[in-house]
Amino acid sequence: MEQLELLMGGFASALTPINLLWVLIGAVLGTAVGVLPGLGSAMAVALLLPVTFSLEPTAAFIMFAGIYFGGLFGDSTSGILLNTPGNSSAMASTFEGHRMAKSGQAAKALATCAIGAFIGGLIATTLVVFFAPVLVKMATVFGPAEYFALAVFAFLAISAVVSESVIRGIAALGIGLALALAGIDGPSGTARFTLGMPQLFDGISVIVITVGLLALGEVFQIASRIHRDPAATQIKTKGRARLNLTDFKKALPAWLRGTAFGAPFGLIPAGGAEVPTFLAYGTEKQLAKRRNDPEFGTTGSIRGLAAPEAAANATAGTAMGALLALGLPTSATAAIMLAAFQQYGMQPGPLLFERSGDLVWALLASLFIGLVILVMINMPFASVWAKLLSIPKHYLYAGITVFSMLGVYAVSSAILDLWLLIAIGLLGFLMRRYNIPLAPVLIAVILGPMAETELRRALAVSEGDLGILVGSPITVTLYAVLAAALAISAIQHLRHRASSKA
Amino acid sequence: MSITQHQPEAGSAKDTQRNPQPGFRTGRSEFIVVAVLYALAIFLTIGTATMKVQGKSAPGPQFFPILVCIILYLVATLLAIQILRSPKAPDNSVHPGHGQFSADMLHDLGQLGKEEDQKFEDGVSQTPAKTWKTYTDWRTVGIMLAGLVAFVLLLNPVGWIISAAMLFWVVAYALGSHRPIFDVGVGLLFSSITQLAFGAGLGLSLPSGFIGGIL
Repeated sequence: MEQLELLMGGFASALTPINLLWVLIGAVLGTAVGVLPGLGSAMAVALLLPVTFSLEPTAAFIMFAGIYFGGLFGDSTSGILLNTPGNSSAMASTFEGHRMAKSGQAAKALATCAIGAFIGGLIATTLVVFFAPVLVKMATVFGPAEYFALAVFAFLAISAVVSESVIRGIAALGIGLALALAGIDGPSGTARFTLGMPQLFDGISVIVITVGLLALGEVFQIASRIHRDPAATQIKTKGRARLNLTDFKKALPAWLRGTAFGAPFGLIPAGGAEVPTFLAYGTEKQLAKRRNDPEFGTTGSIRGLAAPEAAANATAGTAMGALLALGLPTSATAAIMLAAFQQYGMQPGPLLFERSGDLVWALLASLFIGLVILVMINMPFASVWAKLLSIPKHYLYAGITVFSMLGVYAVSSAILDLWLLIAIGLLGFLMRRYNIPLAPVLIAVILGPMAETELRRALAVSEGDLGILVGSPITVTLYAVLAAALAISAIQHLRHRASSKA
Repeated sequence: MSITQHQPEAGSAKDTQRNPQPGFRTGRSEFIVVAVLYALAIFLTIGTATMKVQGKSAPGPQFFPILVCIILYLVATLLAIQILRSPKAPDNSVHPGHGQFSADMLHDLGQLGKEEDQKFEDGVSQTPAKTWKTYTDWRTVGIMLAGLVAFVLLLNPVGWIISAAMLFWVVAYALGSHRPIFDVGVGLLFSSITQLAFGAGLGLSLPSGFIGGIL
């Protein structure tokens, strides 16, 4: 049980008063941004990431653990009370959650979410502690061809398999790959697409891209419709969020089922928690039908809310494991986390555990601490958090606009970055307007450089022979699974098209 | 990046209900995306062709950009064909996935039926009585954009507190605040707090402008 020893070491370095303060600040800020309507955990991480850069690495990552889970705790609040989920991963919990709120059980629904998020996160983080070394060992046999296959898998899974339109998904992927090309090419030292500007030699900062696409793009999108779309009505909550024993007993199996769906998906680059949350919701729906549950679909079933909520956090937890051990971001939020590591000159992957083991274990320990703090600040104060929903929209988005500018300027103090931010914000607006998915851009920006390096390395070793790319069992398996997933999704699209025509 | 160039032409998404016989441009405003993709691809092509390659590694620094160019040209052309064949009026309906994720897949996974789809429509069921010429409210977006441009131009000369307060005020005004005088105070409070918390507290360097010169 070497892991437990290392984890205890992590707790020792995370449990200092000052580090506890950072987790607490991160948890409060993360929950606050997550709760705000229309803003989800991805936005929480993107907006608050630049702020953490002024701290030393350990403190920054400890604060980040709080933000990461805090955003997830807050995600479902606006879904339950307003019927507008903050993040697409909270969509499946909105169905039953909002029904419960409408039938006067808002406080119970919020409590179910908080405990579900806690259980899902706790189990997933425990799994990461025990299986991260296994993943690390697995990753050490990966060569350039395997890493390239992994990147291709992530690219196509996120842009073609899970996206609405394959063409628009690939278009987003292309934009992301293009954005990542600017700057000095590492292996040869050639300046690429910099227009001769020395400020661009390091490339376009990932912070600029994430804040522009996620935050500023969202504000533009809101601005384009705010005077035209009807406003959502909020359901008020009173009192503390708590569950009585009967409800707890009802929800517990659903939390565990949700966690079981969520945990494996953290390792698969399929864009995050959408797939497992909907799977968990579908299962609960079937089970409710079988047991003739009258609540499901009418007044709101606690199980139908508990399962997707636990699944979302379980996915986020194991996604952290895939990120730390393999260096593979499986969701947009994880991609932003990877950018945070790179900002400190660290590359997640097998070597990270060797070189910065202390930091990794401190981060894992603070994920546990963050979960405990979050459940403590979310259960008693659920209705206080809900008050954030009544901030007028114009102040909310004005604040976000100023904050995005602050974050980007704080990282580099460069005016050029602010111009790029506005341009990328407009790009994000355009993509939202025409339903082009954003996640492939983020994944491509983060994994693009790695895909390029590994592809060139592989081809340099094989002296240009493309056979090396499919030369090992691992790569062949990855490509075969990818092909199967593409085929299934194509059949799915065709079947739905046929049934909607009929 | 040539992202701003598409703005003037974006007003072509006409309301289909008011125009029983939609013209060719109806539902085809997505050609802006095609234009952006082509512009990006052409930029990359020129950049790759004129690149001053250092070193003699093979495959060199031009190899990957060429692949990206091919993807971009291909996908832009396919998108153009798709828009020509089936123009889409603005997608007002809210549905699972909402453009980011495949609704077909989520329907299958979640075994969603009519009730869930209905629920998504609940929020937007009260269709506004008024119709507009364009789907996008360009006046609001334009004011916001002007505010952002002004902020970037003013940041160094007048400093963070004043320029950030100005940006806050402009965005709040554009998004429908009715209390302009009160907002000046809110904006100044917000920018001063961020200056204090992040400038003094976390040591981020924010430009102080001429006020810093006076103090």
